[in-house]
Amino acid sequence: MAIAAEAPRPRRRRLTRAIVARGTVPYLLILPVVAVLGALLAYPIYKLVVLSLQQYTLFELIQHKGKWIGLDNFKAIFRDQVFWHTLLRTVIFTVANVGLTIVGGMLIALLLVRVSGWVRILLTSGLVLVWAMPQVVAVQVWYWMTNYQNGVVNYILTQLHVGNYFQHDWYATTFSSLGLVTLLIVWGALPFVAITLYAALSQVPRELVEAAEIDGARAWNVFRDVTLPILMPILLILTSLSILWDFGVFTQAYLLINSSHIHPSNYLMSIYLFQEGFQKADYGKGSAISIVMLVIVALLSFFYVRKMVRVGEVE
Amino acid sequence: MSSRALRRNGWNVVGVGLFVLMVFPVFWMISTSFKPADEINSQTPTWFSGNPTLQHFRDAIHKPFFWDSVKNSVFIVLIAVAISMVLAFLAAVALAKYRFTGRKLFIVLMIGIQMLPGAGLIIPLYVVLARYHQVDTLTGVIVVYISAVLPFSVWTLRGFILGIPKELEEAAMVDGSTRLGAFARILLPLVAPGLVATSVFAFITSWNEYIFARILLNDQSKQTVTVWLSYFLGTSRNTDWGALMAASTLTAIPVVLFFLIVQRRIAFGLTAGAVKG
Amino acid sequence: MRLRVFAVAAMAVLLGLVAATASASPQRAQANKLTVWLQVDAQSGWPDVVAAANQQFQKDHPGWTVDIQYQNWGDHLQKFDATLAGGNTADVIEMGNTEMVKYMAAGAFADLSSFKGSFANSGSWLKGLAASGTFGGRTYGVPYYAGSRVVTYRTDAWTKAKIKKPPNSLAQFTAYAKKLAAANSKTKGFSPVYIAGTDWYFAMSFVYDYGGSIARTSGGKWIGNLDSKQSIAGLTAFKNFFNAASKASKTSDENHPAPYDVYSQGGAASIIGPGWFSCCVGTKYKGVTQQFVMPSHTAGQAMPGFLGGSDLAVPAPSKNTALAADWIKDFTSTDAQRALQAKGNIPNATNLLGSSVNERAAARSWFVPAAKHWVDVENGNILRNMLAQILKGKLSVQQAAASASDNITSVLNGS
Repeated sequence: MAIAAEAPRPRRRRLTRAIVARGTVPYLLILPVVAVLGALLAYPIYKLVVLSLQQYTLFELIQHKGKWIGLDNFKAIFRDQVFWHTLLRTVIFTVANVGLTIVGGMLIALLLVRVSGWVRILLTSGLVLVWAMPQVVAVQVWYWMTNYQNGVVNYILTQLHVGNYFQHDWYATTFSSLGLVTLLIVWGALPFVAITLYAALSQVPRELVEAAEIDGARAWNVFRDVTLPILMPILLILTSLSILWDFGVFTQAYLLINSSHIHPSNYLMSIYLFQEGFQKADYGKGSAISIVMLVIVALLSFFYVRKMVRVGEVE
Repeated sequence: MSSRALRRNGWNVVGVGLFVLMVFPVFWMISTSFKPADEINSQTPTWFSGNPTLQHFRDAIHKPFFWDSVKNSVFIVLIAVAISMVLAFLAAVALAKYRFTGRKLFIVLMIGIQMLPGAGLIIPLYVVLARYHQVDTLTGVIVVYISAVLPFSVWTLRGFILGIPKELEEAAMVDGSTRLGAFARILLPLVAPGLVATSVFAFITSWNEYIFARILLNDQSKQTVTVWLSYFLGTSRNTDWGALMAASTLTAIPVVLFFLIVQRRIAFGLTAGAVKG
Repeated sequence: MRLRVFAVAAMAVLLGLVAATASASPQRAQANKLTVWLQVDAQSGWPDVVAAANQQFQKDHPGWTVDIQYQNWGDHLQKFDATLAGGNTADVIEMGNTEMVKYMAAGAFADLSSFKGSFANSGSWLKGLAASGTFGGRTYGVPYYAGSRVVTYRTDAWTKAKIKKPPNSLAQFTAYAKKLAAANSKTKGFSPVYIAGTDWYFAMSFVYDYGGSIARTSGGKWIGNLDSKQSIAGLTAFKNFFNAASKASKTSDENHPAPYDVYSQGGAASIIGPGWFSCCVGTKYKGVTQQFVMPSHTAGQAMPGFLGGSDLAVPAPSKNTALAADWIKDFTSTDAQRALQAKGNIPNATNLLGSSVNERAAARSWFVPAAKHWVDVENGNILRNMLAQILKGKLSVQQAAASASDNITSVLNGS
């Protein structure tokens, strides 16, 4: 009988014994994915690398032929002061966004556990509503709410006597503009994180939590010692994803700050890529910037991704 | 007992307050779509319109290609999600249950592809699709969306499959069926919640996507809803804010509906895979 | 076993899909279809003109259809670049006149010089527009229509402030602004003349009015000219006028918010912008709205206004150049131009010009430097940033102008 032959070993395993490369089955299974991704992405990725080593402006694009210039694109980027300032700004921006999203999501999830049923439904529905809004729509609404002439946010803040916000220009300084962008992005990202963490929280065995509480542990310690370790895998996934998404975010930032306000002093990496690559029609440089961004985001998320892969592996 | 109730009420207040804060922009969008134009532009904002009007909704629906764009978006998104789920499930099974050479490489690729900046790929992707005559076609957009959601879906579904308790698998074995037969009959239903959760993500990502749909589709009758929305703002003339808000409200509805339909499954689905990574 | 079958089946479906789409897709360069890219302004503003041109074209070329694909100003150039890369461009494309030089220099358009004679009124095309479509002596763009800037004002508010007629000099206008401010001091945030802080189209008019310019050529190279004495005088005049007349945000542009929205809410007694602004001033003030030409600092003269506009060009990869030229001929016929004129646009030829305020303002105009990297100056917001710094008081006019000038020099010379 199959079972007798494969008696489960006394290890904390989740897989029954894995089959080592039995025939073609695994390859057949991944073939469709490889085929689709290969057919679509193989050439663009190859072209991305090729273009980064070429001079490829509008002129070359029309001729369909680039001029080889080796690493000149990369050298130009690393020599550009704007690049370094933008990189620093984007890293800070990413840290702020990811931090606010994960911590905020965690807090909301914990809140969801503690409220009555009707509040839970209300809050979850609200989160879903926010998640469902398309990005371009959300940007327009946020812009509308904070506009100089009659933004409702200005009105509310003035009415609440927080200060005089009549005709306050939220987009006058870099900090203010990017602060608003952060709020917008975090607002849009919280639902996914909060709902996922809430679902994960329900996996935490009540008995463990109650046992710890009976022992007199404070809420923070219960959280740190009981809840957090159980949530670690999902937190790793969410953090890695947030880093990937927030580092390369483009749509919300570009649309909210508005093309007429975009300026090197408020660039983010993706906007820098767009301005230098697309607007100036310098596709060689744009490709080089893409590769640099790819490397940087890989470095930033390396630690989390490695942990994530390990956690899922068979012991 | 009563201190517990008191604490619960305290949390409830916080919960409701949070709800108000989070949902405010959505409320503002919906409220603005009912306001007549001069109320929208007035210096003092009004919460609920003094004399609400349906004019903006009428303008939005009558703007050319509204129903076409809804049709296109629904078609594109449903097909893209369906195909991605099938393909991703197959690959996820391979990753979770088998060891084979090239497995690590495949995993690295799944993660690495998500790190590619989309903006840098726009022109090369366009050239590739042009070669296959897929520019200005719905199928071209579908293929792009499938590629966009596949890596994440494969990765997430792998987590769900890993999370299925060993006992259930072994119980299936007792029947004497082969491993793969067991998968199909017993485990597929167990992974269903995971599939639902992943499909929601794929749905929302595809429905809201803008840049590629914009670049790839020229014929206005083929455009998706997000591209159709951008036409409210593209002209150098009058921007009809009321109509834009009404149109935005309308385009958010399908997503909300889809979500409401599947939402109960999601919490369960995310759970099943979440803790086990 | 089942799974293996499943996997093979999935592959088959995929292959089938690819095969089906490959065979079902229309031929790229469809034999009898002319593809035209126009901006949405035509779709909402003058669809009848488009329809008439299509009808005429189809009559002259039986068996041919015209496919008009409307584009947005925000991303039509990215889409154009994508089609250039893919080799499947439209046959006719509408370009903003400031966008032309970059693409002409890169060889993006077909040479239309041999067709020039067939275009209506080509002998008397508006100089400014025609220049934007010419490169190296050859014609690549056909003028489509132009727009200038005028002052749109509320006669009721002006009368209440005891102003009888439009000003004939900048100084007089400034004095009027102070009167309007006094008469409306109770309205919070009221602008006698609503001007967006970074409205460089308006601000540069001051520069040119005082004899300055944005950039000049010397020995084949471009040199930023905003730091010259005359330019600085112009910028200072703009700063003074703005401070006296406008309560708009110092950093936002002329589209956010739309000036006519502020006007329609009673937040401004006058606004500066294209002539068609009068369409959208709201029901309350529609009856009392009139327009006049912005006066120069020299009494009795008009301030030079920015001559905006669009050209029509034929992308080089198009296989239907002659037919495309023919469609352009139909779309820019005298009748079509008259129709556009009736909708508040400036027609493309001097012999068609009327005497509306809009067209009178076009008599004295200025245009951006005809440099192939000019769009980079616009996209980099160099002028907007300079204006914001001047108005916020962060830098003196001299400092801001000098810095912007250096910037412009390096950008225009392609570094």
